[in-house]
Amino acid sequence: MIGWLRHQKHALSAALRRLRAQALTTMLTALAMGVAISLPSGLYLVLGNLDRLAGGLPAQPEISVFLDVGASVAQHQAIAARLRQPDIVKARFVPRDEALATLSAAQDLADITAGLTENPLPDAWVIRPHTASRDELARVATDLGKLPGVAETHVDSQWADRLQAALAIGHTGVWLLAGLFAIALVAISGNAIRAQVLARRDEILVSRLIGATDRYVRRPFLYLGALQGLLGGLAAGGVLAVAGAILRAPVERLASLYGSAYHLLPPSAIEIAAVLGLTTLFGWLGAWFSVTRALHQVEAAR
Amino acid sequence: MISFSQVTKRYPGGHEALSGVNLAIEQGELVFLTGHSGAGKSTLLKLIAAIERPTSGMVSVSGQNVGRLSHRAVPYLRRNIGLVFQDHKLLFDRSVIENVLLPLDIAGLERREALKRARAVIDKVGLLKREKANPVSLSGGEQQRLCIARALVSRPALLLADEPTGNLDAGYAADIMAMFRDFHQVGTTLLIATHDDRAISALGGRTLRLDHGKVEEVAA
Repeated sequence: MIGWLRHQKHALSAALRRLRAQALTTMLTALAMGVAISLPSGLYLVLGNLDRLAGGLPAQPEISVFLDVGASVAQHQAIAARLRQPDIVKARFVPRDEALATLSAAQDLADITAGLTENPLPDAWVIRPHTASRDELARVATDLGKLPGVAETHVDSQWADRLQAALAIGHTGVWLLAGLFAIALVAISGNAIRAQVLARRDEILVSRLIGATDRYVRRPFLYLGALQGLLGGLAAGGVLAVAGAILRAPVERLASLYGSAYHLLPPSAIEIAAVLGLTTLFGWLGAWFSVTRALHQVEAAR
Repeated sequence: MISFSQVTKRYPGGHEALSGVNLAIEQGELVFLTGHSGAGKSTLLKLIAAIERPTSGMVSVSGQNVGRLSHRAVPYLRRNIGLVFQDHKLLFDRSVIENVLLPLDIAGLERREALKRARAVIDKVGLLKREKANPVSLSGGEQQRLCIARALVSRPALLLADEPTGNLDAGYAADIMAMFRDFHQVGTTLLIATHDDRAISALGGRTLRLDHGKVEEVAA
């Protein structure tokens, strides 16, 4: 166990030395990785901000709750109490008389309403639920429909559905891009490590002759790949930070023109950690493929 | 310690380096292997260290059938064998002491202990003053001594040397051979492939001659 730890430490410090010794190559590789990773993670950030923007838009999905004409006062009160719960952001009561008046005021309908002997419209609530997701909207609507005194509920969710569908495409696109660029990352790392393995041919052959195992030979290269991936992830963070700094002022100006105090949202610590973890993993993976293949070549050429 | 039974090694292309070789070397022996170049001396040494595998027959080292050893087991066999090469196979991207430390790093030895051992063996081959130097700056004889230091630092029971004095002038060669005699005296088994007759006569010891893939004992 102690020997194992010693080997890990030794391999890690050897990898760090090598990265430092070839600072320019290291930086260029990290930059190539960083640009590649910044595309999917940048798109992810843009979508996250769009999600948030969509949540803040006034054109929120609404649910219309129509009451029984014969609903009692107690039922009216119970419904009003239910609508004060936190899953409802806003609830507006529309008395049937007001509804008829609004209808009459609308163009071309005055003639029709004037011909009515009594008001056919029920009392109604127009509510805006806290959520914009389709499933949640349906759940809230069903929930309200079951209240005594409620005749019918109607979800005006078309807008929300379309937005959801568009964002879903965006999210699928992010994963697709992320998959593609993960492959690119493995390839970049693999290529960099392959060059390293071939450059250290003599060392590998001599180490083999004096009793080095496959793992011993492979280990520093795996660390090298993982560190290179980590640097790539950090470079991506840098690219996105610069892009964010450039975009912030124009976005805030656009938002202020709409009378909103919208700000670009930076990634969370968990998201940053996830990106760094994944780039490290894929750097390691690229190194593993490459070093395994290159070792076969080196030994076959002996 | 080492035994060959009916060992044949044929290389791709048909050249037969060894044909039906039988031999036995006991622990603690000092054995010279002679023969003209291309007689199969290097092949014989490579079979012992599992660098090559026999085409047929059995090579056994300390009771292990080396020809059948799995890829994973080979490194552990080699850790018990010190190898000295004619071309030294030193690494020129690191200092003298780091070259000697390499086998100990591979074995996972603790750094301080490793440094102590490396210094001791570098001292023994007379290179202590050059421990921080790059091997490139050493003379041919010094490079060979460094190679020997690296082979001995992990205290192997068996030392194989392939033409250790091949590129050296007489003075250096005598130095190296004297060093081998010292190791023999502390119980290391040595198998030295050489065509340097002066060395053989200076040290004495058993001599095997390889000729056309066959081994014969040379009377002392």
